[in-house]
Amino acid sequence: MALMENMRVRSPWILHFDTGSCNGCDLEVWALLTPKYDVERFGMVNKANPKHADILLLTGPVTKKSEDRLMTLYNQTPGPKVVVACGNCATNGVPFFDCYNVEGGIDRVIPVDVYVPGCACRPEAIIDGVVLAISKWKEKVAAEVPISASEAGPKEEQETVEAPEAKP
Amino acid sequence: MSDLELMVLTILVGILTPFAIGLLIGIDRKITARMQNRVGPPVLQPYYDLIKLFGKERRAMNSSQTVFAIACMFLQLAAFVLLVTGGDLLVVFFVSSTGSFSLALGAFSAHSPFSYFGAQRELLQILAYEPIVFMVIVAIGFRERTFLAGSVAHDLLFVLPLALIALLPVLVIKMEKSPYDIATAHTELISGPYVEYSGTYLAITKIAHWFDLAILFGIMTLFFWDQNIWISIGIKLLIILAFFFTAIVIDNTTARLTRNRMVKFTLAFGLALTAGNMLILFLADQGVFRWP
Repeated sequence: MALMENMRVRSPWILHFDTGSCNGCDLEVWALLTPKYDVERFGMVNKANPKHADILLLTGPVTKKSEDRLMTLYNQTPGPKVVVACGNCATNGVPFFDCYNVEGGIDRVIPVDVYVPGCACRPEAIIDGVVLAISKWKEKVAAEVPISASEAGPKEEQETVEAPEAKP
Repeated sequence: MSDLELMVLTILVGILTPFAIGLLIGIDRKITARMQNRVGPPVLQPYYDLIKLFGKERRAMNSSQTVFAIACMFLQLAAFVLLVTGGDLLVVFFVSSTGSFSLALGAFSAHSPFSYFGAQRELLQILAYEPIVFMVIVAIGFRERTFLAGSVAHDLLFVLPLALIALLPVLVIKMEKSPYDIATAHTELISGPYVEYSGTYLAITKIAHWFDLAILFGIMTLFFWDQNIWISIGIKLLIILAFFFTAIVIDNTTARLTRNRMVKFTLAFGLALTAGNMLILFLADQGVFRWP
């Protein structure tokens, strides 16, 4: 089955969502799809649709307005999925720390697997982050109980996300 | 070649074609990437996508959506099997278009504006290409005096060249390629009728799409026939590859047109070509002039 697992992680589809970024990191995420960086050679395609996505590339601090939307997008993504927080704002919301309309980093709302620092994060750094995310995804795919056997795994994951104590 | 060998060949073609279509789509993605000066995904990428989708968590908006996806796949499969075994072309056409309709119905069953738009546009696409496919089948029937795919035993390439060319815009629409990727418009509708499908059910609609393409390629292969089965298969493959490559070039050199222009152009172009070809054939039959 190792061959099957290897084949399964060869098509990570991306969902890119801006939770309130200045667009600096967004431009760098979009640069990944251009011929210069061409992430499609890893089978990555920007699907812009949570229902088709495997890897969530999120940029910007989570504003109070985008919190619900971020949660919805995360819940709509079928597992196994990986979350990558791109940029300083997404990792801990730095310049907007303690701001009245900002919740903080992405991990205040949903669990994050990979943090990519930088303001704005370089495309090379995002590629590094995504490669790390693919290895994380591989672990998740391997750990996943076969869907036909049990459907308990993804549900538990969702419960931990929706728990209010996740927010300090 | 004996009947048994022919039967084995038919079964082989039937089993291998869907896999070959996946490979063709992989080649398409590679060629497109090279045309855009990129490296591009591996040729086997469509299979990786499919295997991954089957491994994803199983989620659906409602049960009717899944039923329509599965119905779409089985209808296309039935039409394809009918075509390979030499069945009636008209039945192949009707069963296959019922499959296309059930994809639109599946998209309508989810209460999402993107899905609705996608389904409406899918219906518009059906309106644009189905009459042409129908007319091409009628032209084949007019020439051969039979609608049985297995009984088409003449070289139609030089008799019905215009009808074959009329299938090019149909192929562009069915491959969801650029001037006419109206339903799956990825910059505005994300993926149209597929937007609410995820995981396994998305994979099922993808397989249905592969069979749909296989049926269209199958109709194209009817245009060549030779005594020697290997020459026959070779030229049939050449026809498919020529059309496929032309569709890729069109995709990479054009921007998407509006849906009105799609309907107007494909209907005018396709119906004029097929009807013109049948008229030429009719006049030639009457002895007005010679036509090969």
